Amino acid sequence: MIGLILYLIDIGLNSYDDKEIYISDQEIISLVTAWKSQVGRNPNDDEIARIISDLVDEEILYREALMLGLDKEDRIIKRRLAQKISFLKQETILKPPSDQELITYFNNNKDKYFVDSTYTFTHYFFSSENDSKENNSKERSENAIELILSENNFDSDPFFLGKSFDRVSLKNIDSYFGDDFSSSFKNIPINKWTGPIKSSFGHHIVYISNKNDGYYPDISKILNKVEIDLAQSKRDKAVEEFLNKVKSEYKVFINPNLQI
Amino acid sequence: MKLKSILKKIIIAVPIIYISFLGLVYIDVYDSRPIINLFKNIQSDSALEVVDFSVEKDSLINTKPAPNKDRNPYYGDLHVHTKYSFDAYVFGVTASPDDAYRYAKGEGIKHPLGYEMKLEEPLDFYSVTDHGFYMGMIQAYADTSTDISQNEFAEPFHNLNREDNLTVESAGERSNIFSSVLGATIILPYPDWHPKLLKAWLTKNTQLALESFDYDIHKSAWADIARSANEHNDPGNFTTFIGYEFTTSTDVEGGNLHRNVIFNSSKASIRPWTRIDSINPEDLWTWQDKLRDKGVDTISIPHNSNGSNGQMFEMETFKGNAIDIEYAEKRMRNEPVVEITQVKGTSDTHPLLSPDDEWADFEIMDVRVGSRPPTYSKPSGSYVREAYLNGLTLEFTKQGNPYKFGLIGSSDTHTGAGAYDESNYWSKVGLLDGDPENRGSVPLADENIARLDEYMRAFNQPLSTVDLEQGEYANTGFTQWGASGLAVAWAEENTRDSIFKAFKRKETFATTGTRIAVRFFGGYDMSSIDLNSESLVSESYEKGVTMGADLLQDESKIPEFIVWAQKDKNGAPLQRVQIIKGWIDTNSGRPKEKVYDVACSDGNKVDPLTNRCPDNGARVNITDCSYSKNVGSSELKTIWKDPDFSHTDKAFYYVRVLENPTCRWSTWDAINENPPLRPREDLHETIQERAWSSPIWYIPNPSDVEVIPLGGTIRMRNID
Repeated sequence: MIGLILYLIDIGLNSYDDKEIYISDQEIISLVTAWKSQVGRNPNDDEIARIISDLVDEEILYREALMLGLDKEDRIIKRRLAQKISFLKQETILKPPSDQELITYFNNNKDKYFVDSTYTFTHYFFSSENDSKENNSKERSENAIELILSENNFDSDPFFLGKSFDRVSLKNIDSYFGDDFSSSFKNIPINKWTGPIKSSFGHHIVYISNKNDGYYPDISKILNKVEIDLAQSKRDKAVEEFLNKVKSEYKVFINPNLQI
Repeated sequence: MKLKSILKKIIIAVPIIYISFLGLVYIDVYDSRPIINLFKNIQSDSALEVVDFSVEKDSLINTKPAPNKDRNPYYGDLHVHTKYSFDAYVFGVTASPDDAYRYAKGEGIKHPLGYEMKLEEPLDFYSVTDHGFYMGMIQAYADTSTDISQNEFAEPFHNLNREDNLTVESAGERSNIFSSVLGATIILPYPDWHPKLLKAWLTKNTQLALESFDYDIHKSAWADIARSANEHNDPGNFTTFIGYEFTTSTDVEGGNLHRNVIFNSSKASIRPWTRIDSINPEDLWTWQDKLRDKGVDTISIPHNSNGSNGQMFEMETFKGNAIDIEYAEKRMRNEPVVEITQVKGTSDTHPLLSPDDEWADFEIMDVRVGSRPPTYSKPSGSYVREAYLNGLTLEFTKQGNPYKFGLIGSSDTHTGAGAYDESNYWSKVGLLDGDPENRGSVPLADENIARLDEYMRAFNQPLSTVDLEQGEYANTGFTQWGASGLAVAWAEENTRDSIFKAFKRKETFATTGTRIAVRFFGGYDMSSIDLNSESLVSESYEKGVTMGADLLQDESKIPEFIVWAQKDKNGAPLQRVQIIKGWIDTNSGRPKEKVYDVACSDGNKVDPLTNRCPDNGARVNITDCSYSKNVGSSELKTIWKDPDFSHTDKAFYYVRVLENPTCRWSTWDAINENPPLRPREDLHETIQERAWSSPIWYIPNPSDVEVIPLGGTIRMRNID
């Protein structure tokens, strides 16, 4: 009932004689601005008159076309409109987000902004390449850990990417040594020779001399990034959310007997 | 009355001035007589305007690892297309540069067919390099809200990549657009009298004279690419480069001369310099030289020499003149590295060029890039190893060496996301090859044969399918493409500056997508270094030169080389390490090449007679792609002394590292079918993933032999 009343009011307010054309100031101004940007100067009176009469012609042709029902069942028009609303949905959210929005987004995606722990460490490497010899890399590294604690010498192999690593993250360690190594590495105490730890290349004994713990940064320090990410995620979701919202109001009928 | 006569004069004068101006332009464009240089000063060069595209950054400086003076290997891709490329957009690609960089950092993004593309391990650097030619324009044709889309020529492109149009079924229409419509509509110049022609001439910006071109759209696409690169650049952790592809080819034969241009900082020219400016690569280098004078350094990287029909590494210039020292220096100043491997095949060498190299038949793509119908590409002049030899020959005849480049790999993906992994492969052209049937690795379903027929007609391919034992397969040519490759730079840290400098000094290597790492040093006292010492690398840097550098003659001492290779931590073990030597025999003047195995897996020894390792016994089970366990090496290192050395012969040495065999992507496609299929019988079932280092060049002292340079302009001999 309320819907019907609203509908009637709507018709009442919008009823106009379809032979009357109202042109808003804004419409003229925007056309004149466009003209100016093309030509590089203000249009004179004659030119303004022509702009307006072109606009009027266009409006008249448009209404005549509507009266003939030319807008119906035209794929191009449908697509054009569908695309236009997609762009509108994407553009409306391009206004700067509120602080609250940013904070909410940041809180929901906190892990994305986590600043990784970094480690400074050194290691001895025992290559599995030499496993065919009398001692395999695991045994050699087990001996080495005992020998190093009693301050004795032992043989080790040079590691391809070097001996000492300065302020590297777990992600770096992962890419240098492989998953096995980095997952054990996390639990190593600092300032103590530890091992053996297995990598994709052999075994290692490791001494971490410094660790900077990872942390969640203050949002003020990464505001730009959060804003960019938020805008991106909104763009990704805008059309989809709009469709989901209105989809339930539609029923779709397809001829089940259609033969193609 | 006086006023009237002045007016009259003006009315007469204006068209005369205008017409004579057009005459000037006409002579300049079509004739290029030297007198016209007098008028060049009134032109401004729009391609030399430098813009700083840097973006505002957060105050949080990400922690970064300390620089390593012994350098780290950084893995990346310098050849990536997104929706801004005229062809990628036609292939259904909607991924933006932002999407591409997110992919490189490890996030998943969507393939045009809807599935997710994701890396097993993030990359260290990435550069989005869309085609400069018509950059951003096709997207604008498709977007029916733009002015340019209202033109008749834009109609075939309308709404091309709307969600409901992204289907395999659209592939036929797409390749039709690609091969015929694009070619016909894209170059559409205004008539000769049009003022835009004059503007194009005055600003040295030929594309302004094209009706199908909108400069604002073009510039904003370029600005978005640069903005995205700068936004994603994270010094110490992830590096991006502003870049684009200069997509040129020879007028005759359609010889591919494509190059990627990579910028060294957040600054770049206001627009890419493209094939509309000139199809001659020498003009590109001139532009690069001028930009360098303005403080913006760039390198250009040739690719797909394999599909160039011998044009990429010719023995003469683009215009058919003799190569001279000036040409060689200019080329090397601007093109320090070449892309040896990518999706469209590998350009190391060809079985016809290197008959004694058992590994030469590797991922050969034998057709010219973009040819319709597919047309054979002549091997000579198209492969890297022969180019190195020809470079030595040119140097021998005192013409300079224009082919003294280092090596990288890259993907050339057109989906924003490189496919480097045989077991996780989507090829590169979106809807056209995003599924196994279309790329020819599994037989076609009956209902798809007719569709493919239509699709292949658009490609002007005479035979759309091939009939093999398991059924009819698509004959799309995508079977010659593969999951390759990566560019690797030895740099102190993961920053633009550090990595760019590595490209400039050619301290780089290429891989077929695997994360093999390789060190390579040459010198005369390398055998004094202990291979088991922790200081192996730092001593090697001190006592020798590394990949990309020159080793100068030291009396009659014989060069020694240290090679150290490490396997991909997630990949197959190493099978062998080889050194490939090429030289000019000074007595006969002949180029020669030889492949030496220098380190074998599993403790095996090289046979000194054949220079080959024994078979290590590694095998692949092609029904499930598993391979032999406990065979092969996690690392290989050795010191090698050239057994066939002559100190008067110019030579180069580069390393090739080979993994044990693994399944090729086409085999993975077949066994992933339900029920599993056998691999297509006319394709290689397995592949040996590999890495190539940049060469070290041995430079003998200037010889006493007097050589008269070739090429028309014989210089006066220096009579002392």
